Amino acid sequence: VPMTVVRVDSARMLALCEDDGGTRRSVEIALVEPVAPGDTVLVHAGTAIA
Amino acid sequence: MKFVDEFRDAELGRVLAGQILSAIEPGRHYKLMEVCGGHTHSIYKYGIDDLLPSNVELVHGPGCPVCVIPMGRVDDGIAIAHQPGVTFTCFGDMMRVPGSEGTLLEAKARGADIRMVYSPLDALRIAKSEPEREVVFFAIGFETTAPSTALTLKRAKAEGVKNFSCMCNHVTIVPPLRALLDSPDLRLDGFVGPGHVSTVVGARPFEFIPADYRKPIVVSGFEPVDVLQSVLMILRQLAEGRCEVENQYKRVVPYEGNLRALEVIAEVFALRPHFEWRGLGFISQSGLKLSDAYADFDAELRWAVPGVRVADPKACQCGEVLKGVIKPWECKVFGTACTPERPIGTCMVSSEGACAAYYNYGRFAREREVV
Repeated sequence: VPMTVVRVDSARMLALCEDDGGTRRSVEIALVEPVAPGDTVLVHAGTAIA
Repeated sequence: MKFVDEFRDAELGRVLAGQILSAIEPGRHYKLMEVCGGHTHSIYKYGIDDLLPSNVELVHGPGCPVCVIPMGRVDDGIAIAHQPGVTFTCFGDMMRVPGSEGTLLEAKARGADIRMVYSPLDALRIAKSEPEREVVFFAIGFETTAPSTALTLKRAKAEGVKNFSCMCNHVTIVPPLRALLDSPDLRLDGFVGPGHVSTVVGARPFEFIPADYRKPIVVSGFEPVDVLQSVLMILRQLAEGRCEVENQYKRVVPYEGNLRALEVIAEVFALRPHFEWRGLGFISQSGLKLSDAYADFDAELRWAVPGVRVADPKACQCGEVLKGVIKPWECKVFGTACTPERPIGTCMVSSEGACAAYYNYGRFAREREVV
């Protein structure tokens, strides 16, 4: 699912992300960091893989 | 949305359909397999096969992670879920996959504490918030999902969470493709390669397909324009006598994959000598288990499981659908005894399953065609 990064918690390797329907989820970002608010990430099972 | 809307452009789709028509050789039948369940879903949802010439046939492959889980593994999961003090967690689709004595959803109705989660991280959160429970995550999926499980296990280990474990059913994509290519049942001309898996593993692992089997493969995105362009790229390779790995999904898939994801998979998992796939039987080195360093988190080492191989119901032809030997509507129970509401086989459960995708979208087009 493509999601937009809203807020980043680098210390915990998590980001709050939003999908195009407006649903927000906490997403693991260890595989793609650094990311910044506004970036688009591809999220699979709660983890950003691209 | 960026990277989505432009790949759903109807006019561009029609242009690609015209180019596909000019790329084919009249009188030749082309049989292309889309490996990934996400592609199957897109093909039916957007009516992509309606845009293709009648001699370009799309065959659905074994890339739906829920569909390939055999009944015996569901039984093993239910056996763990019934252990005292266990909270069993899994993805929503998995709750409805039938085992030999029912589904996880039915086991939940009988009193087992089984909860649907969105991610393994959610399961870990449950473990941390309910330390008196033993929380088990039923991990499924290809290399796309394996990093998520691996990162969660690393997190659990780093944080010293002792009441969390994982029943690992992760599988890898290359061995079943090789099994399909070796199968005498199926003659394929090329592959629409799995975009999400390739995000993690890259395109390089598919080089054996042109090298050993002289077939083209194009790693593809999931929007309708992506799939049409990938089909065109395969047909052009065939027309020009080429067979290569090409990457249509370059906006997401690096040729070498996501190296951090591959590292974490290598650290947390090890290959099983063999693993059973629904419809494909046992395939060597196609499944993952937890590595020795993470054995403390292995649910199958914490609890004894039946581990019995269970044959699919006789009426169910999921195996033939998963191998692309028959189309969903050719199954004897499709749409009658087997529906998304009351599935007999796994392919009717997940939205990525060929039968469910066809039932939800494609059957209407076929009804028009038959009438």
